[in-house]
Amino acid sequence: MAAHTETDVLVIGAGAGGGAMSKRLSDGGLKVVCLEQGDWIHPMSHPHTYDGWEIERQRSWSFEPNVRQLPEDYPTTGNTTPYIYTGVGGSTLHYAGAWPRFKPVDFRKGTEHGVEGTIDWPISYEELEPFYAINDAEIGVARRTGDPGNPARPEGWGPASRGGKVGHKMATGFDKLGWHWWPADNAILTRAKDARLACNDCGFCLAGCPRHSIASTDVSYWPKALRNGVDLRVNARVEQIHAKNGRATGATYIDRVTGQRHEVRAGVVVVAANSIGTPRLLLMSAQKGHPDGLANSNGLVGTHLMFHSWSFVDFWFDEPLEGFKGPEPAVLYSQEFYDTDPSRGFVNGFSLQVGTALGAATSALGTNTGNIAPWGTGHRKFFNEHFGRHALIYVQGEDLPVRTNRVTLDPEVKDSSGLPAPHVHYELHENDRRLVQWGVQRAQDAAEAAGAVIDTATTGIGGIDGPPPGWHIMGTCRMGNTPEDSVTNKWNQTWDLPNLFIADASSLTTGAAVNPTSTLQAVAVRCAEYIKRRHRDIASQTKTPSNAEAPDL
Amino acid sequence: MTDLNLTSRDARPPLGGWLPGVRLTELQTAVLNAVADELIPGGDGFPAPSEVDVVSFIARYVAPAGWEPRWFPFFGEDHLRARLEGLGQDFADATSTEQVRVLEGLEREDPEFFTRLRDVVYHAYYSRPEVIRAMNRLLPAAKDYRDSPQPYGYSDVMDDWDDELLARVRGTYTRTEDVRRAEIPADLPHSGRTAQAQLPLETADPLPAPSAG
Repeated sequence: MAAHTETDVLVIGAGAGGGAMSKRLSDGGLKVVCLEQGDWIHPMSHPHTYDGWEIERQRSWSFEPNVRQLPEDYPTTGNTTPYIYTGVGGSTLHYAGAWPRFKPVDFRKGTEHGVEGTIDWPISYEELEPFYAINDAEIGVARRTGDPGNPARPEGWGPASRGGKVGHKMATGFDKLGWHWWPADNAILTRAKDARLACNDCGFCLAGCPRHSIASTDVSYWPKALRNGVDLRVNARVEQIHAKNGRATGATYIDRVTGQRHEVRAGVVVVAANSIGTPRLLLMSAQKGHPDGLANSNGLVGTHLMFHSWSFVDFWFDEPLEGFKGPEPAVLYSQEFYDTDPSRGFVNGFSLQVGTALGAATSALGTNTGNIAPWGTGHRKFFNEHFGRHALIYVQGEDLPVRTNRVTLDPEVKDSSGLPAPHVHYELHENDRRLVQWGVQRAQDAAEAAGAVIDTATTGIGGIDGPPPGWHIMGTCRMGNTPEDSVTNKWNQTWDLPNLFIADASSLTTGAAVNPTSTLQAVAVRCAEYIKRRHRDIASQTKTPSNAEAPDL
Repeated sequence: MTDLNLTSRDARPPLGGWLPGVRLTELQTAVLNAVADELIPGGDGFPAPSEVDVVSFIARYVAPAGWEPRWFPFFGEDHLRARLEGLGQDFADATSTEQVRVLEGLEREDPEFFTRLRDVVYHAYYSRPEVIRAMNRLLPAAKDYRDSPQPYGYSDVMDDWDDELLARVRGTYTRTEDVRRAEIPADLPHSGRTAQAQLPLETADPLPAPSAG
């Protein structure tokens, strides 16, 4: 071994979970090393000021690592293409910052129906709420309080992002139907914070944010974590997590710049490499005493992968809506159909999120649904009728955790360091297919109530290419109630190794019908607080305590 | 800000494409312009693609010889030159009707190449300031549309929420203590019990009651 470092806590991954974790642990004076296989994103790497800004989303700002093929990306194989970004900030570098919370019912889906792999969360909404609040304050949420469809939320750092003409139009539709709706919470600054500028409604969120208005962790958590003294190592690709005598001991990483290996030895290891990267790393870490990978004695690592069930429905109206303005995540949402109603033929529910369009090229190339302006003589008329007269409704359904939807290791394909690629298998459950089909009808009801629809198009059920493309990747190392039903206890502590923690979207027990980052980050903050306060207890544990026996915060 | 990035720039597609862009010959340029002008005919106040130099834009996104065309639009220099030469002077000189017929054939016979060509022409055309000025002038929905999202954004021309509408919003949610067993639709395929057969799923409350705070 070329070199080794000793630390209190080793965090693997500098994204949504790892950033929040590293900052909070270091607030408490713990010595933290964080390993990140990607690098920093330079503000000039964002395409927002270039004339070809829209084409860049097909290139270096593609959602798909297999398309970008950057050296820090790892390839994925299987029947779908998950959207992952690699760098300091992880996939928050490439998210829109939609910031809804799970609802109380979401933590009790085992009680409610228990279909397929559904179990209750080991914690309630009320137990997580204080950590939602802490995290909201850290990232600077934009919020309008008063949503009657959710528990009260604290005041935002700034007001909700403005709704523009799209927001007004679609709100009118929901209002006419008497359906619930509310302006969306976003992890986007509507008021400057630290060195981050307020959003100026440029409309191009999903290629990172050069103003740092969007709370990617490179700008929300990392500046403070670094000030606290966290040792963040970039281009550090973890090869294996080590374990000995029932405890994790650290990890070996490859420096992607020099090719050299280094070892970090730590009292606690936290994995936050996203819901595909985390199981991949645990499976790659098979070793003596752990033949099927770390934390995997029950075979659940990588299983119960969730993506949400989706349909995107584009609507074009007979009037200007100017969807090129304003933040790209949800403008507003309706949770009229959030709760289970078995008379619909399925369990769980969905959010209807209203979204926007992008620029002229994207409009000509079919907006979100492949409704492409024809070439030739019909082009001008089609373009002129469609540009800027559009609203999108995302039908965002809760998908069931299904054991056979899972991440495994691909024996053939390797990343640029020779480490095995993750293989991803996902199929939409019949319940979720019914749910989205029904949801698309409700999206159409809403649009028709809003006004004169001149054209509509949909991705169909589950995304353009059949299986959902994995915008939200969740559940592969879920927290649960017993060592038989999950990978970790209620404090994110793996059942097999008491000092190995999972603190990313892998740990989400169920996926709810909302965007997951605010919840995964609240869970990571809660986990960090636990490690911070219970560091000495964890140091002496040789067996992971049950939820009932674990010391409290 | 200090650039902390250690990754080699050569491994990424350059933002804005490669400079200098590939220099197409006069014939190649004429063919590409002719293709673009059939894909998006000018008129009704909009310029033709050939009038706004779509070729320079596209040329920046053609992977120069020696670069593998790994990124959209996946055009390598040598390959694109050859394809344009293949269409040749005959295409450039043909009538509009004949050009359309050739393009329809290409669309049918080599849909992958045609689609990439169409897409990059659309991207090029709708990035040109002259086209955006025409949109501003002619389309009410595009009157505020700008050449790029930054640096100006749209806050100066962005409508806010309607308080009157917001005051009417109704809604509710299920509280933790009110979650009850739902009846599972009888015809729902459901293999779930195997995943955690040991869990007392049928009991009304398998967990201790949640504590507040």
